[in-house]
Amino acid sequence: MMPSHFALCIIVLVALAILGLPIGLSMIGASVFYLLVSGLDLGTAAEQILNGLFNSYVLLAVPLFILAADLMNTGSLTDRLLKFCLVLVGRFRGGLGHVNVVANIIFAGMSGSAIADAVGIGKVIIGMMTRGNRYPIGYAGAITASAAIIGPIIPPSIPMVIYALVSDTSIGYLFLGGVIPGLMLGVAFMVINSVIARRRNYPVEPPVPLREMPKITLEAFPALMLPVVLLVGIYGGVMTPTEGAAAAAGYALLASSLIYRSLSWKQLYDVLLSSAKSSTSVGMLIAGALVFNYVVTIENIPLSVQHFITGFHLTPIMYLLLVNAILLALGCLLEGSTILLVIVPILIPTAKLLGIDLVHFGVVVVVNIMIGLLTPPFGLLLFVVANMTRQPLMVIVRESAPFIAMAIVVLAIITFVPDTILWLPRVMGYKG
Amino acid sequence: MSKNLRAVGRWLQRRANDVAVLLIGTMFVSFLLQIVFRYVLNQPLGWSEEVTVLCWVWVVLWGAAFILSDREEIRFDIVYGAVPVPARRAFTVISSIALVVLLLISLPATWGYVTFMKREHSAYLHMRFDVLYSIYVIFSVACIVKHLRLAWLALLVRELTEADAAAIVAIDGEPR
Repeated sequence: MMPSHFALCIIVLVALAILGLPIGLSMIGASVFYLLVSGLDLGTAAEQILNGLFNSYVLLAVPLFILAADLMNTGSLTDRLLKFCLVLVGRFRGGLGHVNVVANIIFAGMSGSAIADAVGIGKVIIGMMTRGNRYPIGYAGAITASAAIIGPIIPPSIPMVIYALVSDTSIGYLFLGGVIPGLMLGVAFMVINSVIARRRNYPVEPPVPLREMPKITLEAFPALMLPVVLLVGIYGGVMTPTEGAAAAAGYALLASSLIYRSLSWKQLYDVLLSSAKSSTSVGMLIAGALVFNYVVTIENIPLSVQHFITGFHLTPIMYLLLVNAILLALGCLLEGSTILLVIVPILIPTAKLLGIDLVHFGVVVVVNIMIGLLTPPFGLLLFVVANMTRQPLMVIVRESAPFIAMAIVVLAIITFVPDTILWLPRVMGYKG
Repeated sequence: MSKNLRAVGRWLQRRANDVAVLLIGTMFVSFLLQIVFRYVLNQPLGWSEEVTVLCWVWVVLWGAAFILSDREEIRFDIVYGAVPVPARRAFTVISSIALVVLLLISLPATWGYVTFMKREHSAYLHMRFDVLYSIYVIFSVACIVKHLRLAWLALLVRELTEADAAAIVAIDGEPR
């Protein structure tokens, strides 16, 4: 029997990707191949990509959130924020570990990218933690990588924007749904940090005298206001999330150039260029997914998957567990946006059919994919941090293990208790 | 490559970067104007949404064509990174040629689609869609050229030393 055209398309896709072609281009190539063997119009690839990109207004939030985070990292906002966190939690055992987590929670309220958070905060705090050998560098790297996953779980969030696109859910409610799981992760990581700090006798930071507090708070104030501007803008019904992203970037630009005076033209150019690069690499993946998902749709794949899965008579919770297991496994191998754009759309119709709330599903999926950034062999955050600390990957992996375990516990809780996610959106008017 | 040619290449790269920065900057500024006009001055702008979306489409495809090296794109490199250098060269030759063939075959239809769109005009700026969409043709051609070059280099450089291997991988990106 001849394999079906779609099976051939998948074979070409997997082959091209394994041979090392960028995944976006692999998807475009495989889809063109499918159109060719099916005798369909080859111009469809261009049509799907162009119309898809042209009509994906929500996706504009992606480059803007990248820009906002880059601007904050280039200006000295991050430094001031860390100083402020030091005042808050530095005095406890393992203080700098706590500072790391708390800074990530606050930073999460302005940035939507875990990689940007790890680089921005990590650059400063890893130096602080390892000065005078107070913390082993592997531990400093591990807690930096782990805490960074909070970034896209607490709004704003680039992965949630992408999920909103593929699932047709409200970005606003998805964002709200991430708040409590994000805070849960933060608390969980601080607990782990306390336990490890006590066991290994990590240092306590000298308490900052009270009279310095107003000055430090005042210095950090413009940075602290950013999440407020963003959240009030979006949830006050004033702005769309995409405009919120632009406002956040605009605010970061103003704060770092006017208030903190730490941004040169050259730096601005570099920030814009790096934002253009990140937009391109995510955008190419989206372009590939647009045409590949077109193929998946005309082949009725989501429906076939749905038929296949309903054959097992799964309960919603069993399905969620199955999805979690699949995504955790895939997360070890694939990059998050690829999973969101290619795998998740196939899983959504079944979730809908089983009556799983799509905001609940989305937040579970995003938390899962963020954990994937930490799992070897292909956790992107591991590479970023290993590179920053000049440590072998294994050192970071070993030190990250307790944090990953804790994150999976949080994932289990939010999977079994939908209210942890849905309570806040409902308070704000979500009718799910 | 001769010294002059490389200088020209670097100059072109800088100008291509300038275009990307201009596109993303324009997008950013239009967004800010849109917010100010809608919420502060209470006078919504019609054109700004169109400009921002346009800049987004162009920055993605322009960037993919001229800014991003193959190695900076999101790749699945577990297998590629694990195999010895001659296998990597073979991988690059096969995948790049395959992509070039597929893009070449679809080029006439792509051209057909884009030129067909000349009848349509954008809602606010009344720009012809074939002009707006021409970036996809540019992107396709640039991809073909880029991957022909990658395949050529992977095929041609004989007796690879570690340094050569790095150079191949780093043709227009960072060595891995």
